[in-house]
Amino acid sequence: MKKIKSIEQLERFRKEILKTRETKKQCIIIFGGTCGRSRGSEDILDAVRAEIKNQGLEERVEVRGPGCVGFCEVEPVVVLKPQEIYYPRVKTDDIPRIVAETLVEGKILDELLFSDPVSGKRCVSGDEIPFYQKQQRNLLSHHGEIEPTSIDDYIAIGGYSALVKVLSSISPVEIIDIIKKSGLRGRGGGGFPTGIKWESCRKAEGDIKYVLCNADEGDPGAYMDRSLLEGNPHSILEGMIIGAYAIGAHEGYIYVRQEYPLACEHFILALDQARDYGLLGKNILGSRFNFDVQVNRGGGAFVCGESTALMASIEGKPGEPRAKHVHTVEKGLWERPSCLNNVETWANVPLIINRGWSWYSQIGTEKSKGTKIFSLVGKVQNTGLVEVPMGITLREVIYDIGGGIRDGKKFKAVQTGGPSGGVIPEKLLHLPVDFESLTEAGSMMGSGGMIVMDEDNCMVDIAKYFINFLKDESCGKCTPCREGLVQMHAVLEDITEGKGKEEDIEFLEDLAWTISNGSLCQLGATASNPVLSTLKYFKKEYEAHIKDRRCPAGVCKALIRYWIDEKECTGCGVCFKQCPEDAIAGKLKKPHKIDESKCIKCGICYDVCKFDAVVLE
Amino acid sequence: MDKLIIDGIETTPDPNKTVLEVARELGIHIPTLCYHKSLTPYGACRICVVETIWKGRSRLHTACTYPAWEGEVKTNSEKVIRLRKSILALMLAEAPEAEEIKELAAEYGVEKTRFRPRKEKRNKKCIMCGLCVRVCHDVMGFGAIGFENRGYRREVTPPFETYSDVCTTCGACAFVCPTGAIDLKALSDKKVRPILSEFDRNLASRPCVHIPFPQAVPNIPVIDKEHCVYFKTGGCRVCETVCGPQAVDYQQKDQIVEEDVGAVVVATGFDTLPLADLGEYGYGKYPDVIDGLAFERLLSASGPTSGEVKRPSDGKVPKEVVFVQCAGSRDPEKYCPHCSKICCMYTAKHALLYKHRVHDGQPYIFYIDVRTGGKSYEEFYHRVSEQEGVPYIRGKVSKVFPDGDKLMVWGVDTLTAKKVEIAADLVVLATAMVPSQDSQKLFSILKLATDKDGFLSEAHPKLRPVESIISGFFLAGSAQGPRDIPETVAQASGAASKVIGLFSQEKLHHEPIVAVVDEDLCSGCKVCISVCPYDAREFDEEKGIVKVNELLCEGCGACVVACPSGATQQKNLTDDQIRQMVKAVLGE
Repeated sequence: MKKIKSIEQLERFRKEILKTRETKKQCIIIFGGTCGRSRGSEDILDAVRAEIKNQGLEERVEVRGPGCVGFCEVEPVVVLKPQEIYYPRVKTDDIPRIVAETLVEGKILDELLFSDPVSGKRCVSGDEIPFYQKQQRNLLSHHGEIEPTSIDDYIAIGGYSALVKVLSSISPVEIIDIIKKSGLRGRGGGGFPTGIKWESCRKAEGDIKYVLCNADEGDPGAYMDRSLLEGNPHSILEGMIIGAYAIGAHEGYIYVRQEYPLACEHFILALDQARDYGLLGKNILGSRFNFDVQVNRGGGAFVCGESTALMASIEGKPGEPRAKHVHTVEKGLWERPSCLNNVETWANVPLIINRGWSWYSQIGTEKSKGTKIFSLVGKVQNTGLVEVPMGITLREVIYDIGGGIRDGKKFKAVQTGGPSGGVIPEKLLHLPVDFESLTEAGSMMGSGGMIVMDEDNCMVDIAKYFINFLKDESCGKCTPCREGLVQMHAVLEDITEGKGKEEDIEFLEDLAWTISNGSLCQLGATASNPVLSTLKYFKKEYEAHIKDRRCPAGVCKALIRYWIDEKECTGCGVCFKQCPEDAIAGKLKKPHKIDESKCIKCGICYDVCKFDAVVLE
Repeated sequence: MDKLIIDGIETTPDPNKTVLEVARELGIHIPTLCYHKSLTPYGACRICVVETIWKGRSRLHTACTYPAWEGEVKTNSEKVIRLRKSILALMLAEAPEAEEIKELAAEYGVEKTRFRPRKEKRNKKCIMCGLCVRVCHDVMGFGAIGFENRGYRREVTPPFETYSDVCTTCGACAFVCPTGAIDLKALSDKKVRPILSEFDRNLASRPCVHIPFPQAVPNIPVIDKEHCVYFKTGGCRVCETVCGPQAVDYQQKDQIVEEDVGAVVVATGFDTLPLADLGEYGYGKYPDVIDGLAFERLLSASGPTSGEVKRPSDGKVPKEVVFVQCAGSRDPEKYCPHCSKICCMYTAKHALLYKHRVHDGQPYIFYIDVRTGGKSYEEFYHRVSEQEGVPYIRGKVSKVFPDGDKLMVWGVDTLTAKKVEIAADLVVLATAMVPSQDSQKLFSILKLATDKDGFLSEAHPKLRPVESIISGFFLAGSAQGPRDIPETVAQASGAASKVIGLFSQEKLHHEPIVAVVDEDLCSGCKVCISVCPYDAREFDEEKGIVKVNELLCEGCGACVVACPSGATQQKNLTDDQIRQMVKAVLGE
């Protein structure tokens, strides 16, 4: 491929690609992000290719293996176009039938279609599935249309047209103006207005400036950035090039976790392809604008998602935050003006340029514009990546999109904002999802993790889990965070082990004040949120642990016990066989008994008993 | 507003400085732990937290990192105190053995911590302020230690917990550590070699930048180039950053100063006989065998032990001390034939002071003779030996060897002809005085004559005791022979008077007997130049003959004897004149 040296050439090239693809009337799509692959999407892709070859359909049918479908619950997913038939949970054995009957004969296989767990209705296309219906998929919309490893696919759907637009007709200052007017705010968690950040960086003194992409997504249960990088790496790169052009930077870095091998692979490939095509490097599209991006792989420290720690890590130093009274847009990477944005923020940029700030600013609320991707996980029926307009209520996300709580259990709380976020109880489910509302409720937007919890989750245990995570992930630089979290965790451990004291709640609140006010960086400053928000909304659970020595959710092992109700027990022996500690005794067809001195409270007997004879209290 | 108000004191904001720096300039104390002037502010310990109020918004920031922007700063507000107390309580749990933290916490009224001790932490004094790690990497340029692990598992260690090759045991880490948590020996397999203080006879260490001894002239610090890291690697330069008047100048070099002078007083002093030579006393093998100068430092209030008598090996107070006089003196077979003169008196003084410092201590003095030539010296000796009852044992020590943690001293009492054995805690040798090291080189440059012991020879032992045989050179102090302070002062005063006398004359007087060269006979062989002890001869290139500088010539006649052609004669003392004198004497 020769370098594309001008804007006109790129347009011609786009048309050429489209022309070569006209012959293929049908398309079979096998989604495969990391999650899809872990559920066997690669085998399915191979099986489809083999079957297409067998049937001699290669000329007519395009086989495509794009990134994540978003609906994790039902992966692997196969979609057939142009009919838009959506087959969830596909197995390799289904492939010959899908090819022979649906692809060739056009017959819809009812038994393979998605059946909504709420209404029981069968849905033919993705659009009919409730999980997708309330979503507004702007960033994720192209995920089915492109192979992430193909720049041609991206160009074919109009990729890099935003770059063309800015290089040909929009000045850097105008770009910043557009971004400002769009109301785009940083998607990494802080929600700082992106346009203002760009403007400050543009105005900052210095010949050398950097554009950085934060792909160090470390929140447990969050994978928005990974899916974007895996599924549409060029959209992020295009955003970065536009940002660099607006700011006046010629060097860029993406800091991506080493634990995201597929994301790394796809993004590195995207960089190579963009360089080959002349979309990256010297004299981009003949515009005399130079910009290149390096990939920096992080070792997996959560704290490296913090801007200054990330920069320190790129500099080759330990990933420790530093004081940023002077902002990183003025003194960032190597003390030079640096503009750091999150993956999702960068991915929004081409959309805003292409479709205009007024389109973008119509989406969302007054202060929070656009759409936001969440990873909806936990005890909901439909787990997956959810892209929704800002301002949608939590209830809509959890019940309409997520399909409500699994197994008919009762909703208890939703945890947003990652480990530094907080829990939101049922009474606040009417809250709109935007930066301000969530912060006011004692949680935060964060990068978009949304973990739904039901009645079986113990809130003290949840707080302990997150504090344990943060204690392990604290860089250890400053005293309040390093030492405070250890002490906080120890107290939470005592409470969950039935050793809590009455003064512990006050102690936690006081320590939380120290950690929040004394810590160097935002990791520390927000680290107490899990404790503070659970205390705020679920103080009774703490009190039950401390005063009554009882775990209402039945999670904290030291505070629960299992026993067998003799009236219900049929003596079937299932529990007896499954118990790993031989703690259950009893003869066949006679009621069994649990020896509490041996019982480790693993709960296997409780799970396996078909007669509800095992009682948890 | 354009003002910075710290604790009510108004000042001008300066974004290039931090609140901490400005506060310190104003004399406002803010406690710090992880801050050091020579390092970039780190903001880790958080103890320097202050409350900033800007546009009505109150926030807590660390003074060491926060720029001195406009606004208001409170260094001791309620919030600040609350946070500092809480942080100190956390530190007490983290570093329960750090005395400095206990003291600081006590200042804030935190006596006990409500937090539980951090049992799994290895270093019980370290508060993870990172000063050691940063000074080693950022300032010294070594990077021999770092943090291992993250978060609460952090510890300071060399990489991979093995000894680092790049560590030079320079000790910067231990120096900056605010809690004394660094054990250099644990960090490196290299021998930790503190720079020993020459003045304290190696009984204490000294920094690289030091004033060589009290009352040094000039009384200003010098950099020990041999040990200074900057001169070795280009790193460090800490002294430069901490010196307020910016007086540190690394460019200074040793200079050779040339002066035209009319007279020279040679006062090169003495050294003591190197102890390593005194094998029978076990010096070098046993740390508790020391010399009189070292014992003098142990008695001194400004010495390494602040005047407490402690022995070097283990710091214990010695209960039995053996003083050995004539260690190397008056021993023509093995060491020095001469008497060092001062030892009798200073040993008596040492024994007396020792008894006064250590009331249950027992000194013993081995001597050959007690020489008390000096005003009131004999009385002092009697006071020590009789009133204070210090036992004087007449005889020499034959051997010193260790016995448990004691030193066994074998000797003989020649008055009772009995063998003496003393189990001593400390042995103090009154070592012989010898001319100072390198003085012999100087003497040969100056062409000054010495006696067989290497001390300078005076022009006449009775009549010209402070002059050398060469005119213009005067002698003072122990360079001429062992003597004590009063004698030295007297002799120096004499030499000074002689110089004044010399300078007060309008004309220089000189003995009339000088060498002359018969130009017709001189072949220019230059033999005379090599034999002349006074540099009084020089070769005249033009004429090809040797000339005599009559001012320098002392008329010794060496050249007359050496001249192969008979061209040199002594004016006023020619061979013929000598013959005539001989004849006259013989009455011929």
